[in-house]
Amino acid sequence: MQPFAYSRPGTLAEAVALLEERGPGARVLAGGTDLLIRLRDGSLDPEVVVDVKRVPELAPGIRADDGRLVIGATTTMTEIAAHPVIRHEFAALADAAAYVGSVQIRNRATLAGNLCNASPAADTAPALLVHGAVVVAAGPEGTRRIPLDAFFVRSGVTTLARGELVTAVDLPLPSTRLASAHERRTRRRGHDLAAVTMAVGVDARGAARLAFGSVGPRPVVRVDDTATLGDRSATDADVDAILDRLLGDAAPSRTSMRASPGYRLAMLRVLARRARATALGRLADG
Amino acid sequence: MTASRVGDSPARVGGFGRVTGAQQYVADLHPADALHAKLVTVDAAHARIVSVDASGALALPGVHLVLTSDDLPQPVPRFGPQNRDRPVLAVGETKYHGDPVAIVVADTVDQAEAAAAAVRVEHEPLPAVFTIEGALAADAPLVQDPSLREGQALAQTNVLNEHEVGWGDLDQAARGADVVLERRYTFPMVTQFAIEPHAWMAAPDGDGIVVWSAIQHPYWLQRMLAGVLKLPLARVRVVAPDPGGAFGGKQHPKYEPALAFAALRVGRPVKLVLTLEETFQAVRRAACDATVRIGLARDGSICFEDIRADYLIGAYTDIADRVVGKGSYVGAGPYAIPAVRIRGRSILSHTVPSTAFRGFGNPQINWAVESTLDEACEALGLDPLDVRLRNLAAKGQPFIPFDTPCDGDWADSVRKAADMIGWGSPMPEGRGRGIAVGIKSGPTTGLSTSIVRLLADGSVVVYAGTSDMGQGARTVFAQVASQELGAPLDWVTVVMGDTAVVPYDQQTSASRSTVLMGNAVLNACRDIQRKLAAMAARVHGVEAGAVAVEGGVVRLPGGAVLPIADVVAASLGRLGGEITGLGEARKEADPSHPLGGSAAFFEFNCTAIEASVDEDTGDVTIHRHVTVSDVGKALNPLQVTMQDEGAAIMGLGHTLMEHYLFDDEGRIRNLGAIDYRIPTSMDLPRSLESAFVEHEDGPGPFGAKGMSEGALLCVAPAVGAAIHAAARVRIRDLPFSPERVWRAIQERDRGEAGA
Ligand SMILES: Cc1cc2nc3c(=O)[nH]c(=O)nc-3n(C[C@H](O)[C@H](O)[C@H](O)COP(=O)(O)OP(=O)(O)OC[C@H]3O[C@@H](n4cnc5c(N)ncnc54)[C@H](O)[C@@H]3O)c2cc1C
Repeated sequence: MQPFAYSRPGTLAEAVALLEERGPGARVLAGGTDLLIRLRDGSLDPEVVVDVKRVPELAPGIRADDGRLVIGATTTMTEIAAHPVIRHEFAALADAAAYVGSVQIRNRATLAGNLCNASPAADTAPALLVHGAVVVAAGPEGTRRIPLDAFFVRSGVTTLARGELVTAVDLPLPSTRLASAHERRTRRRGHDLAAVTMAVGVDARGAARLAFGSVGPRPVVRVDDTATLGDRSATDADVDAILDRLLGDAAPSRTSMRASPGYRLAMLRVLARRARATALGRLADG
Repeated sequence: MTASRVGDSPARVGGFGRVTGAQQYVADLHPADALHAKLVTVDAAHARIVSVDASGALALPGVHLVLTSDDLPQPVPRFGPQNRDRPVLAVGETKYHGDPVAIVVADTVDQAEAAAAAVRVEHEPLPAVFTIEGALAADAPLVQDPSLREGQALAQTNVLNEHEVGWGDLDQAARGADVVLERRYTFPMVTQFAIEPHAWMAAPDGDGIVVWSAIQHPYWLQRMLAGVLKLPLARVRVVAPDPGGAFGGKQHPKYEPALAFAALRVGRPVKLVLTLEETFQAVRRAACDATVRIGLARDGSICFEDIRADYLIGAYTDIADRVVGKGSYVGAGPYAIPAVRIRGRSILSHTVPSTAFRGFGNPQINWAVESTLDEACEALGLDPLDVRLRNLAAKGQPFIPFDTPCDGDWADSVRKAADMIGWGSPMPEGRGRGIAVGIKSGPTTGLSTSIVRLLADGSVVVYAGTSDMGQGARTVFAQVASQELGAPLDWVTVVMGDTAVVPYDQQTSASRSTVLMGNAVLNACRDIQRKLAAMAARVHGVEAGAVAVEGGVVRLPGGAVLPIADVVAASLGRLGGEITGLGEARKEADPSHPLGGSAAFFEFNCTAIEASVDEDTGDVTIHRHVTVSDVGKALNPLQVTMQDEGAAIMGLGHTLMEHYLFDDEGRIRNLGAIDYRIPTSMDLPRSLESAFVEHEDGPGPFGAKGMSEGALLCVAPAVGAAIHAAARVRIRDLPFSPERVWRAIQERDRGEAGA
């Protein structure tokens, strides 16, 4: 591991100033479960690591505010998976958070870290996309809100600008419940990086959205405007036809060792069917 | 103050330190003046070294030394437990990704790492081979220079050695077969993945050297270092703190010689701790491609087995050719078969040198043979359990004509496993069951010596050169001493792991230590008992033969029975002191035997599996995993169960998920924990049941046999058979990854299912 300076700013302004001044030479540290691996393997070599866990604006916590559920940047997966509102209103997110890593990892891994790392396999991304999450970013120019779909660019790259960091992620508390579920494929049951991730959300009017990851440079969200997926009486053939359309542009890596493209594409459909079934079940359960 | 008895399961000796982190592994040793080493490698599977420029590295802060083979005695010493073919550092060429060209020594680990990256190794890539086909191709580059293989018939090829054993007349036996099947099964490269990192430290020690190593065989290391450094054995001290898992990967020296030369050059301790990524490039199991021809008669008797097994070993021999020879040797299994031919070949390649790994060459061939037998049973509509029971060798039967006869009631283990899993009883929809057996030849030679000291207060010190790497050897030896000398376990200290202190032990491998070192400890205790009897007789003024010492007590004429602790001080007399016992256990070599010696015992295991397959995803769920081993006598039943479960779970690793993946340049793509998956607690079978059979028929203390590898031998064929029973797919390559199983199901549905 290359030596680096460590800084632990106590205010948002300090953190932003440091990030702006150092640009790519600085790296935010939250739980460190992605960052430390990359420091150790040498794929990242920052001059300064900026620990944001003492910045009050990024503090962990989940609260309702003006029709939205606001999740502080450093909220851990453990907290998210256990939160009653998330478990009911954003079930796919609770599912996803509960899948991440192992107990120890979930106790450290933060939601903002999962998104800012921008892995195509990030488990919380599909659920957050399905539920229309917005990333709240603070930077030298102040605060802005970035819809999650406009946040991811490709693996490791987001639309955060120099000097910006994520302070929170928020989700609209819907008037009509969107019941959702998350599924993923891994090589083993113990913690593993997903070869396919999939979240499906359906509401009582039959509207449905699905989002998936690990099959292209970034997670993507698709809307079913035919109301087929949300229709529990739809035939398998109807569902498959819609899935073919919604998943048509998935382009898994040809060179990945985690799974072949053929397997990933087949699993996308399997997971979509399963997540849909779970979501419909949850919708029925109320 | 009660003594522990064999057959009890007391708390693990040293266990508290292990689980609290108090135990000091090699990586935990931090002498104030220690320097840190890092290996320099090139990004090539096979390359000619043109030049090494260390000037940039030497100019970095904290750097003390960059050592290459040019700085070593010439010709550069070579070492290896079988063939001396591995140079201390690469000479002229590197032969696999990870083959060290130089070793860098600096004040800190980070400085050593930076310096290693700054060493400029100009090199020219050379053609390389990574597969059996590639290595055997007519135009394949030779991995080893024929000049190093003088006198070997195959020196002009990449076949390091061929091993053939057999008996009976195959052609004649084939005439009795109602079905003859030939099947090919492959087994990938996997790695030991000990949780304790491979770590070493070397330091000048007067006019000799001391080396700390997480090693299973401290005395081999001592001998090898003495040879390479040209020092008398008495000037080479190996300290071997208890390893944290080894599994064969820590049997033989790898980088200790380079480290020793570096330490002698800088005159200070030099420490090297491998990363997991480096460890993947240092130790692995040989891959195997086996073709099995089996003839089975309608009545279920096996007429013949004709087996070819090609093992892909690495660039240097290490102990791999022994693995091939010994593993393939029992390839026909625990059956009495009239005609058998087994041909095993070790094939060199530009890959990580393969070495010993729990099971020692058996899991690879057993997977092929037991699976082919399952296919033959299916072809004749026979029950795989019946066929196994029908063909098992009976106790005393010389099933391998020139070896130790069958030494267990093996059918008992098979019946027990079948009973436990409920063989033949109904199961939930979608499940299938499979059953398989495996044997392994135990140690073929051995020498263990032990010194035991009975101190004046009745406490005991046991010296045993075994490495306790988690198998619990300390506990078993302490139990033996406790039972024989009457001291409670916490009055027994077991001293291990220091060649300057502890007498000779050949090695910790082949599940031998309970048997061989156990006997040595037992013999040392009996030596003390004899001496004490004579001393007590003198004190009590009776004839020597009138006093008996056994099982921790002294029996005096007239019927008095006294604890040893109450007798020892008086018996020692005015000068006090202590009573020292010396014990030895030998397994003599037999030069005429194909393996150089017959089996001290056989490990026998039967594994039965109940599994289901998710047809949409290919996920395999193991609902029940039953393992039964024939252990002779469980000196410590809890430890027997732990070893059995551990071996079973390790077997699930290569069965379900583990394998090295290579790119076209011979790099390991899944280098490290992120993409090389081993089972976690969540990957365990829904139910794992381990049991054992005890007939006190082993050569160890109180009838014990070694048993730490058995449960790994037949996991893959049992799981494979269960998958076949559940989903009607035959998968002949490991691991059964979800994608591979899913593909097999797709093929089945397209009507292309396995031949
Ligand atoms: C063993 C193991 C298993 C794992 N399993 C999974 C899994 O199953 N699913 C999964 O999705 N992930 C998994 N991960 C990855 C990782 O745990 C998650 O991505 C986690 O959420 C990252 O959060 P963190 O707080 O640890 O991030 P860090 O490592 O601290 O940061 C990650 C990246 O985000 C940046 N960053 C962090 N916070 C901010 C912020 N507020 N503003 C701007 N940039 C920021 C950092 O600079 C860094 O580049 C696993 C990791 C490990 C080590």
